[in-house]
Amino acid sequence: MKDDVIISVKDLKTFFYTNNRCNKAVNGVSFDIKKGKTLCVVGESGCGKSVTASSIMQLLPKLSRIENGKITYHSNEGDIRIDQLKKNGAEMRAIRGSDISMIFQDPMTALNPVYSIGFQISENIQYHTRLKKSERKDQSIKLLKEMGIPLPEQRINEYPHQYSGGMRQRAMIAMAMACNPKVLIADEPTTALDVTIQAQIFELMDELKEKHDTAIMLITHDMGVVTELADDVVVMYMGNIVENGTVDDVLRKPSHPYTKALLESIPVLGRGKNQVIEPIKGSTPDPYNRPKGCQFAPRCPYADSSCLVMPDESSINNTHSVRCWHPMEAV
Amino acid sequence: MKDTEKKKTRLEKKFDKILIREDTGLIKNKKGSRAFRKLMSNRLAVAGIIIVSVILLASIFAPLICRYDPLKLDLRNKLQKPSMEHLIGTDQLGRDIFARIVYGGRVSILVGLGSALASAVVGVAIGAYTGYKGGLLDKIMLRLSELVMAFPQIILVLLLVTIMGQGLRNLIIIFTLTGWGGIYRMTRAQMLSLREEEYVQALRAFGLNNFSIAYKHMLPNAVGPIVVNITLSTAMFILYEAALSFLGLGVPLNIATWGNIVNIAQDLRYLQFFWWLWVPGAIVISLFVLGINFIGDGLRDSADPMQQG
Amino acid sequence: MLTYTLRRLLILIPMLLFLSFLIYLGLELTPGDAVSYMISPERYATMDPAELEAVREALGLDDPFLIRYAKWLGGVLKGDFGYSLQSGVPIRDIVFDRLPATLELSAGAIIISTIFGIFFGTISALKRGSIGDNALTLAGMLGVSVPRFIFGLLAILLFTFHLKWLPVGGRLRPGYEGFMDRLPHLIMPTLVLSATLVAGIMRYSRASMLDAMNRDFMKTARSKGLPEWRVNFVHGLRVSLIPVIVLIAFRLPILLGGTVIIEQVFQWPGIGSEFIGAVRSRNYPIVMMIAFFTTFAVLFVSFLIDLFTALLDPRVKLD
Repeated sequence: MKDDVIISVKDLKTFFYTNNRCNKAVNGVSFDIKKGKTLCVVGESGCGKSVTASSIMQLLPKLSRIENGKITYHSNEGDIRIDQLKKNGAEMRAIRGSDISMIFQDPMTALNPVYSIGFQISENIQYHTRLKKSERKDQSIKLLKEMGIPLPEQRINEYPHQYSGGMRQRAMIAMAMACNPKVLIADEPTTALDVTIQAQIFELMDELKEKHDTAIMLITHDMGVVTELADDVVVMYMGNIVENGTVDDVLRKPSHPYTKALLESIPVLGRGKNQVIEPIKGSTPDPYNRPKGCQFAPRCPYADSSCLVMPDESSINNTHSVRCWHPMEAV
Repeated sequence: MKDTEKKKTRLEKKFDKILIREDTGLIKNKKGSRAFRKLMSNRLAVAGIIIVSVILLASIFAPLICRYDPLKLDLRNKLQKPSMEHLIGTDQLGRDIFARIVYGGRVSILVGLGSALASAVVGVAIGAYTGYKGGLLDKIMLRLSELVMAFPQIILVLLLVTIMGQGLRNLIIIFTLTGWGGIYRMTRAQMLSLREEEYVQALRAFGLNNFSIAYKHMLPNAVGPIVVNITLSTAMFILYEAALSFLGLGVPLNIATWGNIVNIAQDLRYLQFFWWLWVPGAIVISLFVLGINFIGDGLRDSADPMQQG
Repeated sequence: MLTYTLRRLLILIPMLLFLSFLIYLGLELTPGDAVSYMISPERYATMDPAELEAVREALGLDDPFLIRYAKWLGGVLKGDFGYSLQSGVPIRDIVFDRLPATLELSAGAIIISTIFGIFFGTISALKRGSIGDNALTLAGMLGVSVPRFIFGLLAILLFTFHLKWLPVGGRLRPGYEGFMDRLPHLIMPTLVLSATLVAGIMRYSRASMLDAMNRDFMKTARSKGLPEWRVNFVHGLRVSLIPVIVLIAFRLPILLGGTVIIEQVFQWPGIGSEFIGAVRSRNYPIVMMIAFFTTFAVLFVSFLIDLFTALLDPRVKLD
């Protein structure tokens, strides 16, 4: 295994079983999270990005399971197969929150409204370290300060509803970073925030990455965010990764028709008012009624009969790979 | 350790089965209203429908299934145990108990359902209009309903009984007067949320008058919870009638109702030694109300889109 | 917190006034000479018409309605509730005499049913779908379907007559005063009353817990690596409690209703059975005043519970 990979996901399949139906939310996904680097997972709603994150954290709901595949955490003490750990067993719980942390989309609902922020941060520290109560309190204050929250000694005792939207997200990041995790998974952390606050949060995350060498897995549907923050990019569609590479590879030389279509559907600052913005034709298929073979084929202008079989992963170069029978040439 | 392993396997097996069915294409897309299907698949609700129907039909077709007159006294045959002659025996005045139960059902169900419907009419009528219109009228009605609901219902009911006197018609009126609050509040709440919908503003822009908007256009959207409420209110009123009649303060004792039949149990001798006088009546009340509760719960579940499968 | 309290008071006081107004209206409208329950019956019986007229004037019965109302209200606030139509005993004495019995019964029932209701409801939610959950749910359904007095009758049948464990009713045996002596009499009514309340609380507690378990912050708590018990109880249960307590406040009127019936079934000498007796004998003053008193109590206790809930929910506390 390469030296700088901290989590490697191989052929992950996660299925949901509700209403007596089976939804193959994640259907064979492989990627690596590298130390100190930001991996952006992009895709439309419902493509399985959040489920992938939940699978890594073993936070899946009751009516679902990791069907297949390997999730390996390359810790200091050796490789740990996360997919084989018991969901709420001591081993997994030791990893969760201290080695791998997660922050969520809406901090208002993600934080418990009846406990103070300090309490909720302290909790994380309490269950992963042996620090005493006063030490935990100091640590919490330090964290809030680091995240740019003013008057942390006072804020510690306040409740989530007393914070503003941006501050809440900072508080949640503080909570997630409390034990200095090696990996921070951020599931659409700014979707519920104003654009200006968004910028601040991302700046903060970048700083943390630098300071603590934290690997970040950032889930988003916003290509603009990808341009800003990503080192590596993974594009997902209906439970599969359709393109995988560095940000340079994927954004400058998009190979999969879906990636290309995504990029063409957002306005780019500087291109002027005559730039062509094309929405993607059609809509995502019903997960219970999927097309055969490549899931994007019904919407793809380049599809033909070979697309009735799911394409294998093909390499464009040693960082860039794509799953398509008709990969695009560079624009 | 082994315990959790075994449990995982059971859930996992279920998953495996679903996966196989899915992969081999055995899943058919069912047609029909999702709500109705949900209701039918709820076994308790179905059981409830059966129970309620049986009792209801027995009461409606009482003359067909029972040859005795519930009011006929026959003191020579009093206190007979259940037998082929009298299915549930006779009471202390020689009346056939089965007949009393079956005919009594008519009155009890009438009181229950009638009161539920009447309070629904009142509550919905007021709630729909004031909820939509708002303003002073709304505030007054809200405070009024709060006051009515602050009275423990039994106490208010008995207070009105004291003033108005007993009687079947009075009872229904009293029940309606004391019971409209809940459904009023609920309808009003629905109206408050529907009021913000765009189509309402559009209707207003078209110049439709308030009554039309409130009753004809908004109300149909709130029907679901109202139906649930009526169902559960029926159960509540039947219980109240039973309690009142048991105390001798409900429907006058000469008319057979389920509560009146159980009234006899106040006397400890009858309670102990002549169980057939009151136990069957008690069972019928309980079963009927249980059935209604099953149905009401089922309705509530099926109307709720957020239920997990 | 202070502003919240004041706001609730501002709502409570007009309600109480309006309530008193309605009650007085009821008193005015009931048949019978108003004087008859404002002075003791002995006097009423022995007076001649001229004296009666004088008394009427003295009592201000010829004054306009609002003044009479105000005077009556003043009297009530000072503790003068009027007199019983039959016995002539001051109503205040009757009420306060019987109050401890009712409090004993209802307080006990509330405490027991709240504890058990929340306990069973939470367990039900945690073990959703299991046999235990289904059994409890069914038991709960039975609890709200079987009429309360039937529960009482069955309890008497079982415990008094078949098992001969407990006495059939009443509150004390003559001559015995201590709490331990009262206990055997207290057990059945309290348990029966609790049984009917537990069902409702259990169902609501279960629903509230299930709702809390689905909320986002539960996932966040798990993502911190917290053990399941802490996630469920420290996070889930704590949040699920708020609506349950609100519900109990809402249910207070029903609790009192149940007490009335249970008191009657077990011949428990409380306000409830007194009320029933008064209804039966058309003793209007008692009926009115007890109705007033109990509704007043309900409104007031709801107010207190409101404040308590606010304490539990920081979103309100700090407004």
